[in-house]
Order: sequence, then C-alpha cells, then structure tokens
Amino acid sequence: MKDIIYTVLTITLCLVLGKLINFSVSGLPASLYGMIIYCLLLQLGLVKPIKVHKTNQWAIKHMGVCFIPAAVGVINHFELIQNHGLTIIGIIFFTTFALLTFVAVLAEKYLANKSESSPSTSNC
Amino acid sequence: MQIQSISLSDSLILTLLTLVIYQSAAWAQQKSKFIWLNPLLVTIIVLIPFLLLSKIPYANYRLSTHFLNALLEPAIVALGYPLYLQLQHIKRNWKLLVAILVLGVILVVTLSFSLTMLLIHQKEIAIALSLKSVTTPVGIIITEQLQGDSSITPFAIIIAGFAGGLLGPSWLRFLKIRSDIAAGLSIGAASHVIGSMIISKDNPYQGAYSSVALIICAVLTAFIMPLLMPILSVFFA
Repeated sequence: MKDIIYTVLTITLCLVLGKLINFSVSGLPASLYGMIIYCLLLQLGLVKPIKVHKTNQWAIKHMGVCFIPAAVGVINHFELIQNHGLTIIGIIFFTTFALLTFVAVLAEKYLANKSESSPSTSNC
Repeated sequence: MQIQSISLSDSLILTLLTLVIYQSAAWAQQKSKFIWLNPLLVTIIVLIPFLLLSKIPYANYRLSTHFLNALLEPAIVALGYPLYLQLQHIKRNWKLLVAILVLGVILVVTLSFSLTMLLIHQKEIAIALSLKSVTTPVGIIITEQLQGDSSITPFAIIIAGFAGGLLGPSWLRFLKIRSDIAAGLSIGAASHVIGSMIISKDNPYQGAYSSVALIICAVLTAFIMPLLMPILSVFFA
C-alpha cells in the first residue's frame, strides 16, 4: 500500500513539474516533460525503482483503457473512411515498411557486430 | 451536434461500460493469447454500434468518460520507468542507436505527412498518420498538441502495429537481416507495443530490443515532430 501511494505521489509530482515547465517554456506536452523528469529522478536515485516497480507495471499494463475516449471519435469519420480508407491503409503500410527496412538495414550494418548485453524485457 | 447536459449517472454508466468491455477483452486476450483480440480494437468495435444504436452523440460520450481521458497524462509520465530501465542497457552504443532512430523518425514522419497531403489533402489526417509508429498515449497527446485528428491516430497506430508485427519478420528474412538487434529495433520503431508483443513470443531478445526502440522513438518523435511540422507544412501551404 505504501508503495502504491509513493508511486502515485511521485508520478503526480512529476506531472505537476511538467505542467510548470510546459507553462513557462511550452515546447513539449506537459506529460512528456513529466515522463523525462520521472526518468531523471530514477536515474539520479532520488526515486527508488524497487518501490515504483509493481504499481508502475500495473499502470502500464492497464493504460490502454485511457485511449478509448479519443479512439471512439472515429465514429464521426465514416465519410472519411468511405472515401479514403484504402488510401490511408496504403500509406500506413508503405511508410511502416519503409521505416522497418531503414532501421533494420542500418542497425544490421552498424550495430549487429557490436552487440551488447541484451536489454530487459518489458512492454509499454 | 447538440451537446446535452451530462448527468453523473450517465457518466458513471458509460465509464463503467467502457472499463468492463476493455477488461473483458484484455482478459480474453490473455487467456486465448490471440493477438487480434487487441483490447483497444475490440472495445471500439463494441462501443461504436452501441453508441449509434442508443443515439448517444460522441461529444456526450467524450464528456462522460472525461475521467479516463484525464488519466492519459499520468499514464505517459509512468512510461518514464520503462525508459529508465531501457536506458541502463544501451549505454555502450547509445549514440549510434539514437542516431539511427532519429533518422528513422524523420523519414517516417516526412513520408507519412507528405503522402497524406498529396493524396488526401487534409492536414489533421496527415498529422495523425505521421504519428502512427509511436506508442498510443504519446501519439494521441502529440496529435492533440499539433491540432491533428486524435481519433484517427489510435487506428493508424493499431494498423501499423499489426502490419509490422505480423508481416515484419518475413520481410526482414527477405532482406537477409540476421541479427536480433536489427530485427528488434526495427520492429519496435515501426510497430511499437503490438509488434513488440508479437515478436517477443518467438524471440525474447528481439522483444527486448523492440522495447528499447519503441520507448526511445516515442521520446524522439515528441521532440522532432513539432520542429519538423512547420518545415513540411511550407511545402503544402
């Protein structure tokens, strides 16, 4: 329970700091400043990774539900999908494979032989 | 569209309904391990006919579920933890790795934006499609920041995820890409969490590298997109 409160308070604090930075210098959205501050605090050891781990992983696992209100907005776009649906899918496929090829070829050429210890598995 | 006043009970019911559908789909996916049961996709497919049949305007639904939308910001802050975890592992080659991903992000944003402007001529849609390779919360928030259409972004993100996750590995074999690092990074960069989930099943090393790429690409895109957008817009003014 203590760890849950610790995590929630830390994330809230980072978000508030993010809002302050966004308010004074704009640039990135407040939440992204918050994310970078959170990462920095962890890196500097000011926030203990072991205390946030469980709650944070839980939050990431369930965060998908926050995207639904925005995504359901597609309800107002039936006309766009009717007129341009195939073009949109075509653009997404083409650009996805362009990026895939670009990163894969460069990484194979420049990073493959210098392989380092494998990173930890986590999804977000 | 007329926005009626939202009662607390409506708000509670719609939020709960959204949560229940999402959780059921997430549970079903976990049990069946069936990748197409993507909870976001399933929830939208169930909710849209429901809203249409019960004649609830989208604006009302959006207002009623404002609580969920408000959680988007803390959710993005929480991504700082996986970012911290992944940064521990890329220390040695980080400059090269970041350079490749920066170029990749510039390439995909420029291509997606330009193609959409040429073929569809709608800037809000072009912004949404430019952000299809990043993880959903970051994609939505940057789309909104740049006044794009944030209802298109999640769909574009899901399609990009499945395209790269399902067909990506065969495409990489065709390109004769053999290393786990190249396969993992490219699928993470192009197909974010969905791609990462799909390839992790067969090869956890590739899955781990794809997590690195997806989180770093999200941060890079947030920095690059607002700088690149005014430049690209000049060509399509």
